[in-house]
Amino acid sequence: MNTNNNVYTVIYTTVVCVLVAAVLAFVSQSLKPRQEANEKAETISQILAAAQFDCAQMSNDEIIAFYKENIASSKLVDAEGKTTDELDMASAEVYSVSDLKKQNYNIKDGSKLADATLPVYVFNNGITVIPVYGAGLWGPVWGYVAFESDLETIKGAYFDHSGETPGLGGKIKDDPAFREAFAGKKAIFGEGNPFNIVKGGAPAEMENGIDAITGATMTSKGVEDAINVWFEAYRPYLLAGAQAEAIEAEEAAECTEAIEAEEAAECTEAIEAEEAAESTEAIEAEAAEESNGSNKEE
Amino acid sequence: MKETILNPLFKGNPISVLVLGICSSLAVTVELKGALVMALSVTIVTGLSSLVCSLIRKSIPNRVRIIIQLVVVALMVILVDQFLKAFAYTIDKQLSVYIGLIITNCIVMGRIEAFALGNKPIPSLVDGLMNGLGYGMILVIVAFFRELLGSGTILGFDVLNRFGYVNNGLVILPPMALIILGCIIWVQRAIQKDLQEK
Amino acid sequence: MEYISLFVKSIFVDNMIFAYFLGMCSYLAVSKNVKTANGLGIAVIFVLLVTLPINYLLNKYVLAPGALSWLGADFAGVDLSFLSYIVFIAVIAAIVQIVEMVVEKISPSLYSSLGIFLPLIAVNCAILGGSLFMQQRDFVNVGESAVYALGSGIGWYLAIVGLAAIREKLAYSNVPAPLKGLGITFFTVGLMGMAFMAFMGISL
Repeated sequence: MNTNNNVYTVIYTTVVCVLVAAVLAFVSQSLKPRQEANEKAETISQILAAAQFDCAQMSNDEIIAFYKENIASSKLVDAEGKTTDELDMASAEVYSVSDLKKQNYNIKDGSKLADATLPVYVFNNGITVIPVYGAGLWGPVWGYVAFESDLETIKGAYFDHSGETPGLGGKIKDDPAFREAFAGKKAIFGEGNPFNIVKGGAPAEMENGIDAITGATMTSKGVEDAINVWFEAYRPYLLAGAQAEAIEAEEAAECTEAIEAEEAAECTEAIEAEEAAESTEAIEAEAAEESNGSNKEE
Repeated sequence: MKETILNPLFKGNPISVLVLGICSSLAVTVELKGALVMALSVTIVTGLSSLVCSLIRKSIPNRVRIIIQLVVVALMVILVDQFLKAFAYTIDKQLSVYIGLIITNCIVMGRIEAFALGNKPIPSLVDGLMNGLGYGMILVIVAFFRELLGSGTILGFDVLNRFGYVNNGLVILPPMALIILGCIIWVQRAIQKDLQEK
Repeated sequence: MEYISLFVKSIFVDNMIFAYFLGMCSYLAVSKNVKTANGLGIAVIFVLLVTLPINYLLNKYVLAPGALSWLGADFAGVDLSFLSYIVFIAVIAAIVQIVEMVVEKISPSLYSSLGIFLPLIAVNCAILGGSLFMQQRDFVNVGESAVYALGSGIGWYLAIVGLAAIREKLAYSNVPAPLKGLGITFFTVGLMGMAFMAFMGISL
């Protein structure tokens, strides 16, 4: 057969392309649920790792079950800190890395900040986890930062990346020392960055800074930028949370005072009443005596 | 047949002798695990693509030969990629774009052009698999040294650090992969003198 | 300004050869003398510059998740990204073939100097790698992808011409027999890579 004529070439190419596309579409569709489950379980395990839950040895299903057990609320907030939507807890819905990428786009572009919907995961033990996303040296870096219930003190953090050099930039994920350095630090919204990763080592008294990774300055810088850009976006939410805590404390204080005041008042009343009663009695008695006396005198 | 099996491993090793397929390989040799998976993926892809191309070798129109071969190879690569994503997610993430680059790995195309198009399916399959292995072998050797010297570990287990070894960061960086490869070639050609260039 | 920064970065900092090892096969095979290296380098720049913007548009309007939404709301959920490898490589192979034919018709002299390299380029990892990195980094517009293509191409060109020049000199030096040819070339590329790493910390 002449395999070089035009009609044959075109038909052959078309048939091959259609066949290949069909096989691919079939495989891709049938494996998709599994791939998505993998991706989701990984995201959840990273959120849990940031919140200092130990889930390294769990299977995908166990991770999701554990998450459902411990999550108190998962919601979306806008850049003003208001809750706009809830994430479905029954199906353990979380924001995937590609969702974060989209939000990162919203956050960085000032005009789109209003469109941002930022996920917040609150666990039963009061820990709140928020994501961060940014550019490392070679590709994107992202991660999760967990706050104590005051929304200021950092409980822990977990980072991941798509292409940083293993052993250098890759340490943001692989080196536990880098992650552990976050614990106990604070996000401080005042002058300068809310959080710092300092090349050459952060001063010990710095409350909102940790050491950069030696030999991975660019990746450390990328993580720092990711944290600061996202912290800024969450700023209203975090500050509102911190204030709510403060208000609660104040109210509690007021309440105690009020109770004390009330007690005091009651006490005074009682004393007064008693005194009054006593004095009345005395007066009456006196009066009675007096009248008796006067009667006798009469 | 024996020739087909043994040749790609030593005398006609695709990397150290034929200089094929270096592109996508060196970046995944920082850790042994990634190298093993890459070696396996390439072996499967070369084997299957050689088999398929050999099956359809008589019907391929000569003018679109390269494109058809690329489509077949790309099909295999995507299949491997999809399966890795479903069953070995963390490893797939580590290999990232390099898994896609198997498509342009010269070994795959090179073996199809040089062998599969002129031979029966079974020998083509064997040739493809063995070339993949020959390639994987070099990959694993390079990765072994890079992980050992660069991170002090083998497959993630601490080997050298416990003796107070300070990791050599340079070995992890890309250029050292080339230098280690140069050393492998040095050793091989010192043993097999007939491979030496003039 | 962003374009200049991207341009310089893709030439030096993200050099295709020294940072990513892309296009190594032809890099090592066709770097024996400066003249042929020159030809292949120019061909790579050219093909990158043509294919990358095309693949960028394909990715943005056909392949990426939700990219088909311009066809109507029904298509917003379609995700064809699993087809991207095959589409990219098909585009590259087709472009290479077309370029070959066009160059042959228009300028036979250019064809005779570039011609033999063009088929090689279809399987040059640097070209497909460029497209895949483009997809991973999501550039904002076609202009950025074209600048990235030009920068990467020039980076590749510089690398191959540099190596070819060194190899021409190496021919006269006394290299241990087992290292002759390929072995010493690997060492050379390794050392060149280390030199290029000096650019790594630069942020523009």
